Amino acid sequence: MQSLSIPASIRTPAIDFDFGNSHFKLSGESYPEDVTEFYHPVFSALDTYLATLGPGSCRFDFELIYLNSSSAKAVMMLMDKLDAAAAKGATVDIYWFYDEKDDSMRELGEEFGEDLENAKFHLEKMPG
Amino acid sequence: MLARELFDIRLILRKQGIIFAYSGYVTEAVLSGVGEAIKQKLVIADADTKTLRGVFAVFVEQMQNMIRYSAEKAQSSPPLPSDAEALMEIRYGILTIGQENGDYVVHAGNLIQRSDVERLRERLSKIRDMNKEELRALRKERLRGGPEEGSKGAGLGLMEIARRASKPIEFDFTDVDDKHVFFALKASV
Repeated sequence: MQSLSIPASIRTPAIDFDFGNSHFKLSGESYPEDVTEFYHPVFSALDTYLATLGPGSCRFDFELIYLNSSSAKAVMMLMDKLDAAAAKGATVDIYWFYDEKDDSMRELGEEFGEDLENAKFHLEKMPG
Repeated sequence: MLARELFDIRLILRKQGIIFAYSGYVTEAVLSGVGEAIKQKLVIADADTKTLRGVFAVFVEQMQNMIRYSAEKAQSSPPLPSDAEALMEIRYGILTIGQENGDYVVHAGNLIQRSDVERLRERLSKIRDMNKEELRALRKERLRGGPEEGSKGAGLGLMEIARRASKPIEFDFTDVDDKHVFFALKASV
């Protein structure tokens, strides 16, 4: 699969899906005007990849500075997809990087992590 | 006279501790522009990162609530067909950012239908009276479940405002006419 790369804008995060290396990243801020419109291609690309993953492994990094309440729902859906792939035998590592100056993003990461049953969750400070 | 009148408006705002005020039609473009000004510390200069992000987060949810729910809409002339009207709805609201006893406060106000008052009051009272743990549990439940009846945003916006606030949220309603009530929501960060 070809990589999916969408640069960040003021209100949308950068998407770096490197399918060749099974490494995915969502970084920046997320408060799009239309959450469904922005995340639809992201969901489709991930669905296509995960459908063929089988017992393989992948890593997803969330490096978010800010997300609004409707984006939180989209992020939860991404996590659910990853957790479902892990339930079917894939090795999935999810990293949630937070800015230590803003504990509400760490708390949000903890909340998402609690709901994961099969994927491995890692909560880490953002470097630098 | 002209300068005096406008200066008086400015004084009234300042006396109430208001640093920033917007009153008019609320659109996504206004949200983007004012949001950028907040991030660039043009609205509040001396806040730490956590406070600044809290004010920003509350601002975004307040604006998006007004964009979606204010009952006061721009009239187009000639009237648009109903499907186009749904896309073109532009709504009116007022939003202020100020300082009060060392906290930053975000106020937002807009008209709502009288028939929506009780449901909104009930929803807000419930959120206001919850502690952080209860709020966390309810938010999680709402993230998983569908939107509440009559809600286009899963009711998550109000919970996010309460989560970011350092004190319980405050709200009030005042009568405008037979059909409309003015609704105000205050959050301290």
